[in-house]
Amino acid sequence: MAEYKLYYFNAKARAEIIRLIFAAAGQKYEDIRFEREQWPEYKQKAPLGQAPFLEVELNGNTFKLGQSVTIARYVARKFNLAGKGDEEQAEVEMYGDQVSDLLNELVKVHFEKDETRQNELRKKFHEEILPNTLKTLDGKIAHNGSGYLVASGLTWADLFLVNILEWLGDKKEAALANFSNLKSLDEKVRSHPRIAEWLEKRPKTEM
Amino acid sequence: MTEYKLYYFNGKGRAEVIRLIFAAAGQKYQDIRFEREQWPELKPKTPLGNVPVLEVVQNGKSFKFGQSLSIARYVARKFSLAGRGDEEQAEVEMYGDQVQDLFLELLKIRFEVNEARKNELRKKFQEETLPNSLRVLDGKVAKNGSGYLVASGLTWADLFLFYVLDWLDRRVRSNPRIADWLERRPVTEL
Repeated sequence: MAEYKLYYFNAKARAEIIRLIFAAAGQKYEDIRFEREQWPEYKQKAPLGQAPFLEVELNGNTFKLGQSVTIARYVARKFNLAGKGDEEQAEVEMYGDQVSDLLNELVKVHFEKDETRQNELRKKFHEEILPNTLKTLDGKIAHNGSGYLVASGLTWADLFLVNILEWLGDKKEAALANFSNLKSLDEKVRSHPRIAEWLEKRPKTEM
Repeated sequence: MTEYKLYYFNGKGRAEVIRLIFAAAGQKYQDIRFEREQWPELKPKTPLGNVPVLEVVQNGKSFKFGQSLSIARYVARKFSLAGRGDEEQAEVEMYGDQVQDLFLELLKIRFEVNEARKNELRKKFQEETLPNSLRVLDGKVAKNGSGYLVASGLTWADLFLFYVLDWLDRRVRSNPRIADWLERRPVTEL
């Protein structure tokens, strides 16, 4: 019996995809959240000096893992949310990487200090980068028959996509306006009983 | 019999880590390189509108997918260069992601057009980002006993790290004063 402890700030941000996977899998874990002032103490325990990090207790051994998307892939595989077979698993990872790219672009906009440049980056993100990616993903879902990104059903890539749509906040509705398959996927995932429960009870944080 | 076809521009860029994996595995594949002018025609044929793309032909079926690291992980698993067991495999991926963060910084610097900003980014990379990452990775290698990033031996994460360091190495080597010293210095093994 493995025990899982997830360590992160009290925020959704880069840890939320992992929490969504635990929720979808109905898997218990310790959702450890520390304050900014406590970070120097936790940083020492983190495998790469970064958060989130996962600690797994397995057969009396402790295994620690860093890098949010690597943690997501690891737990998704453990809980059968990674796709079926090597090829589909690679397809799921491809979608995961694509969503990760979007997230990194959004983070780049968010942390840009120069206001002119930030407006430029924001414009490019919302007018080009985001719609182009959403259009491609919408097409893939349409093609599948399952209503999810891959044929076998719900995977962590769908959860990651829903997660990033959340990051858009009040811009989400407009972004999805022309993409009916994405809209359906988003609604379907958010109303999945275990996920709906998590969305309801999770700590409310700004980011 | 599985056939592999890798599609990319004629450059190392984001495809080289994949080519290094094929090389380390001694695995044949078609290393397909196209010119920039051909890209607009090829783009709609790719799974996500980007490259590299790997095509795998197996039992008469063709499977195509993109995203350089997804491809790297897939082929590394097929050729036993992904680590042993779920936990070590995840550890390898963690190092792969860490090296990717370094690689993306390098690309950001490389493609920055504003000269002042480029120098700022380069300074931060050389004085903070790179040394911090290397210090952590160096510590991991020291702890292992294998001389590689993970205990079981060579994995794709080592190949990726080698590629990024090699890129840096070549940039340093192309510095005129360094190049001059490398030319003049006595040749010794160590």
